[in-house]
Amino acid sequence: MGEFKINQYTKSGELFQRAVKVIPGGVYGHLGPSEGCAIPISAYPIFADRAQGAYFWDVDGNRFVDYMCAYGPNILGYNDPDVDAAAAAQLKRGNCTTVPGDVLVPFAELLVDTVEMADWAFFAKNGGDVTSFAVMIARQATQRKKILMLKGSYHGVAPWTQKYGYGGIIYEDVCNNLYCKFNDIEDFKRVVEENKGEIACFITTPYHHPIFEDNALPNENWYKEVRKICDENGIVLIFDDIRCGFRLDVKGSDYHYGVKADLECFCKALANGYNVSALCGIQALKGYATDVYYTGSYWMSAEPFAAGIACIKKMREMEIHKALKAKGEKLQSGLKEVAASNGFDLIISGEPAMWFMRLNNDYTTMVHQEWVAECVKRGVFFTSHHNHFINAALSDEDIQFTLDVADEAYKAVRKNRPDFH
Amino acid sequence: MDNVTKAKINLFAVLRNFQELCSMDEVAHNLIKDVKLTVRFVVPEVGSATLAFANGQCKFFTGKKFAGLTLWFVSPEHFNSLIDGEKTIPIFINVFKVGFLLNTFTKLAERLSYYLKPTEELLADEKYFRINTYLTAYTAFFALCEIGNSEFKGRCNASRIPEGEILLTVNDGPSMVIAVDKNHRLSAKIGTTDNPRACMTFGSLQTANDVLSGKSDIFSNLGSGNFAIKGCLPMLDNMSKILSQVGFYLK
Repeated sequence: MGEFKINQYTKSGELFQRAVKVIPGGVYGHLGPSEGCAIPISAYPIFADRAQGAYFWDVDGNRFVDYMCAYGPNILGYNDPDVDAAAAAQLKRGNCTTVPGDVLVPFAELLVDTVEMADWAFFAKNGGDVTSFAVMIARQATQRKKILMLKGSYHGVAPWTQKYGYGGIIYEDVCNNLYCKFNDIEDFKRVVEENKGEIACFITTPYHHPIFEDNALPNENWYKEVRKICDENGIVLIFDDIRCGFRLDVKGSDYHYGVKADLECFCKALANGYNVSALCGIQALKGYATDVYYTGSYWMSAEPFAAGIACIKKMREMEIHKALKAKGEKLQSGLKEVAASNGFDLIISGEPAMWFMRLNNDYTTMVHQEWVAECVKRGVFFTSHHNHFINAALSDEDIQFTLDVADEAYKAVRKNRPDFH
Repeated sequence: MDNVTKAKINLFAVLRNFQELCSMDEVAHNLIKDVKLTVRFVVPEVGSATLAFANGQCKFFTGKKFAGLTLWFVSPEHFNSLIDGEKTIPIFINVFKVGFLLNTFTKLAERLSYYLKPTEELLADEKYFRINTYLTAYTAFFALCEIGNSEFKGRCNASRIPEGEILLTVNDGPSMVIAVDKNHRLSAKIGTTDNPRACMTFGSLQTANDVLSGKSDIFSNLGSGNFAIKGCLPMLDNMSKILSQVGFYLK
């Protein structure tokens, strides 16, 4: 018997059986057991009951130290009192109204004041809303049709972001997409040369964080060269900062890496879980943004704007990116030590606030999947396929708890894998 | 849907089932127990395959092989019409073997069709259900390889499958291996492997039958614990995208 309780998921399972009758796949998308890579399903919760700070509890009453943070939105801690109070106050005044709530303007002003590259801000709901809008603005501004992006990158679920062969995608959806390799400036130059005068934009995540693979930070000259080539060729540089936004720097991830984007997309951490996304842009593209007809039923809802203001103010005051980096470094060095003490070589990549991990010599990924499952069963929510997220509510005690669970989980794996090194 | 891919599926995935059919089904076995003949099918743009009947068994081979009876088809569409059950006469020389074609082969084809076109009533029979599930699984996964190697959309998906072997298992049922080479060419075999890079396991024959016949989906079964995956998930994710194309060809 180990030190930690092994979770059971009876109620999650029962609820899932109800779900599959009325919802395609039961739970679709990245929060579901399939896309969320719950391997094996018996180790994972499917439905949450509540959340607070760094934790969520599932419907069976199991608590999890949550390192996925709803895949990014939870940055201050679930149910942050300041953000929730601001949202509640605005909800009393009005939310979805015929003309926008007055809170729209101070939210845009605050974002422009916070994000270094921003001269203006535009709001929508999801990350994909604003990555698509950014591409449309670039096409309008350049009168070109081709989109350059990184191989293996993710910019949402709109047809242009997907691949030919995926369900519901036709060739014409993606026939104007071009791909290049991250950190390979010669490859970038080659694609630009081969499509001279045809590329509207280069859309990129701040660093390369594909799923299933080691993440990669930009080389020293990558963005310097990219910016120069974009300028020389009239290509709009779009930063998809949906996932990284505010976790690397409250001034924007382009600022963090020493470059100025022309358009920058935010969502996830923007309002600590309240439903809003934003596109920020430079002055030269402001007019083109108005040329594109783009709107949605709930895009002007005032409650998330108020939450966003409170969230940004708090992130600025506490210089949240520094706190997240420190917590991340502490956790990850501890995890590597725990792994090593059990004879495993844990490989960490990416930024400390949103690290990716895998085991060395694990060609199939099965050993790492087994360890992640053992952690989840004991109340630490990791995934095996995706980068993780740190939030500000994570305490030293939570980190120690995580390391203790990780140790017991490695020992459980070792029992079945005595020869793995 | 392109006719060349469909013909490849018919030749290398559907016709292949004669081998398993004759070993699993008593009626089929009795039809061939005294037959000693090798029949080769030659389809332009597709290739050739051979069924060898001897000693009460049927063996399937791909590629060139000496045959007592060779059936030539003028086009992929010509061959597809034969498999679709339309009245189709292939070109052949050995008129002494025409009896096999008109009699035994036709009856075998009808028997295969009987198992691959189930009704709810037939599926209620345990023996039928088992044979139907085996043959459906074999057809689906051999067909998947043909789509991944031949069709444009299929090749796009196959190009994203990392190199290695995928083990497909049905608990208390068949198992197969899909091998992906460095050029993303797919090949299937019935059996197992000691070194799978990814595994896909159907919890029961019922789950396999339900998923492969489109009565239920992989996502629901995964969340319900009736279906499991592990290992290199990009292999399974991209293979599943090809698997979802199979149904359009086998309708």
